[in-house]
Amino acid sequence: MTKPAPVYVLGGAQTDFARNWSKEGKHFVAMMREATLAALEATKIEPREIETSHVGNFAAELYAKQGHVGAFFIEIDPAFSGLPTSRHEAACASGSIALIAASAEIEAGRYDLSCVVGVEQMKTVDSTTGGDYLGTAAWYEREAKGIEFPFPKLFGRLGDEYDKRYGLKDEYLAHISAVNYSNAKRNPNAQTRNWFMSESHAQRESKFNTVIGGRIKISDCSQVTDGSVAVFLASEKFASAWAKRNGLKLEEIPRILGWGHHTAPLEFATKVAESKDNAYVLPHTRQAILDAFKRAEISSPLELSGIETHDCFTTSEYMAIDHFGITKPGESWKAIEEGVIELGGKLPINPSGGLIGAGHPVGATGVRQMLDCHRQITHTAGEYQVEGAKKFAMLNIGGSGTTSCVFVVGN
Amino acid sequence: MADNNKVVIIGANGTMGAGAGCVFAGAGFSVTLLARSNDKCADALADVQNLARADAIAERISLGTYDRDLARAVGEAGLIFESLAEDLPLKKQFFELVDKYRRPDAIVATGSSGLSIGAMAAGRSESFRHHFLGIHLFNPPHVIVGTEVIPSPETDAEVVKNCVAILTKRLGRKVIVTKDRPAFVGNRVGFKVLNEVAQLATEHGVAFMDYLIGPHTGRAMAPLATVDLVGWDVHQAIVDNVFANTNDEARDCFKMPAYMHRALEQGCLGDKTPQRGGFYRRSGAEVFVLDPKTGNHVPMVKPAPIEFVEQMKQFHRVGRYSDALKVFADAKTADADLCRRVVLGYVSYALNRVGEVAATPADVDTIMSYGFNWAPPTAIVDLLGAKNTVAMLERLGLPVPPALGQAASSDAKLFVGGVLQYGRTFVG
Repeated sequence: MTKPAPVYVLGGAQTDFARNWSKEGKHFVAMMREATLAALEATKIEPREIETSHVGNFAAELYAKQGHVGAFFIEIDPAFSGLPTSRHEAACASGSIALIAASAEIEAGRYDLSCVVGVEQMKTVDSTTGGDYLGTAAWYEREAKGIEFPFPKLFGRLGDEYDKRYGLKDEYLAHISAVNYSNAKRNPNAQTRNWFMSESHAQRESKFNTVIGGRIKISDCSQVTDGSVAVFLASEKFASAWAKRNGLKLEEIPRILGWGHHTAPLEFATKVAESKDNAYVLPHTRQAILDAFKRAEISSPLELSGIETHDCFTTSEYMAIDHFGITKPGESWKAIEEGVIELGGKLPINPSGGLIGAGHPVGATGVRQMLDCHRQITHTAGEYQVEGAKKFAMLNIGGSGTTSCVFVVGN
Repeated sequence: MADNNKVVIIGANGTMGAGAGCVFAGAGFSVTLLARSNDKCADALADVQNLARADAIAERISLGTYDRDLARAVGEAGLIFESLAEDLPLKKQFFELVDKYRRPDAIVATGSSGLSIGAMAAGRSESFRHHFLGIHLFNPPHVIVGTEVIPSPETDAEVVKNCVAILTKRLGRKVIVTKDRPAFVGNRVGFKVLNEVAQLATEHGVAFMDYLIGPHTGRAMAPLATVDLVGWDVHQAIVDNVFANTNDEARDCFKMPAYMHRALEQGCLGDKTPQRGGFYRRSGAEVFVLDPKTGNHVPMVKPAPIEFVEQMKQFHRVGRYSDALKVFADAKTADADLCRRVVLGYVSYALNRVGEVAATPADVDTIMSYGFNWAPPTAIVDLLGAKNTVAMLERLGLPVPPALGQAASSDAKLFVGGVLQYGRTFVG
């Protein structure tokens, strides 16, 4: 197979994930609009230059009683009227699927500049109703119907499976939570930047840190978040011209070096049964990582400067550590004990605060991770910058480890 | 600030004291909460835990009473934060003790929302005066990140710099440095608008004014509901202080209306007196509203929708803020004129404080946006267009601030925060 055409990441913008857009009396298109206009301003791109848009969104039908979300891109600016747009849904990996679709179009030479927007407005309903809506990311009828907060319970089972196979102490999960909250304090757009968290708080069950399901307490969970993120992906032709007019060299602009995308069976029990003889609890996630590494010509995770990973719950980040190959399978705790994952560690994970700290507007998360990879590679991440970052990876997961999307970004 | 991690809060059992305790302990400082009695200390700790939503924050907190622990706690602290009632003699009484026991390098800060910093420091030692400043947090401090730092002419520049750095870097605050003028910037500008709306309610009614100058005009909450939340006693203290100690172009806006005086005498303090209420009083699901003419609370009747208001809300709802402001500018009714008089009066008054109290328009924007959750004045100007804004101010007989005049002549943009920052303050 011939090598695909390169896809450049020109940058973008995100909304402040601490905002509550329902309280502001806003429709989700206001979020898309603010993120996109800010992205245009940040990148000095004119609206008329955009040729196509891909929108990542999970459940606007439920949260906002609105479908046809891709068409809302047209509402952002009169110059967009007539553009080809589409909406992509793969639960919490919706944003990444939008990125994959956009990058595939650029690789194919169909378009030179695509605007990828992730959006989710989740604070329209109470937490129990929201938990039920999120249950549709699992096999609803079998795994979520009538169950309060099904996803914490499903990811609690991921921890239980680790415990069964390799042993898992909850103190490591508490540490993951504390690191993410701590990193988020450096991120001006993070939802929890002013919240209190300490490792001891995360370790203990209390009236403020109740068990949501199984071994998952509030401190193990990402939060209900409203947010939107816009990122521009470009062909070499557009990126060259754009670099020139902004006084940059093409080599300075981050590229998608590699990607991986695998889908596992929807039901968690099926996944576990399928992987029972595999060293990796979620082998399809592992394969998505390996595919991305292969395309990026990376042989070790330590060639990366950092990772933005999916930590919808602490157990998913625990899983990501060994699945990225940072430790042997089942030994993620070693990387935690050695401080590898911390900002300033050998391979920082979620310097942005991740989903737990930065926030998790479901359909926007993958795009946010891509924007943070861009920020790291261009050394514009401010207080959460990983010094000298050259290559960053992201892992975005939809469902209980069902859709796994991985990108490696670098220049 | 001294090279240690210890903060003492004096007056920790008040709303702002507990909030400050939550903010400092949340940022990793060791905090001593001081109050008059053990019971009040326990209350303060419970408040901090509730604000932080974490029992574990207690690990960073110790408790003490003034009689038993003040000397030791103050002697160990790098920052002493006073959060007593807005009573100058009371504060000065405590500062005398603090002056006696503090380390020579410890910063002493008052959380006062508007009293003179210089007056508080008067009579204290030279070292105290060099290390003394105001840190004005807004309520609730763990949520509202806008913060004013107010040095007196005697405060060391290095102390101000350190303080701003700590507040910004460790506590994640949005900080401006202001001059020591009554009510500083946020409350000076904010309460001018709040009291002006209260004055206009005398003729137009409470519910109508809150609807007309509602969230669509760039604020998280309607003005008179805000006064109820703040408390009428606090409102009175702030506007009386400004009225007595300033003489600017809008001084009359700080005269508290007679009907508010009468209601206050009857114990109406707003939300903190739910039985008596304030502008509003709730009884179960029923809402009653104060009739300024009779002084009675009457059943709330929603004002009839006004076309330009409803159009603005719709534009805000979809994030089309400049279109909403165009509707605001173009509406041809008396109601629209009244609305413009208040909103553009805010812009004019706020930007006119540049130089007098605030250093730059960006400082005014920061504190109105992150302290009051109101649209930054310059964002309103940019959305309307500077030339258009000047023309409207002239038509309304309102002063044109120098910064705005310059922007209009050069066609420059004034707001420097970006679309994401002002979007949060326009409510649909």
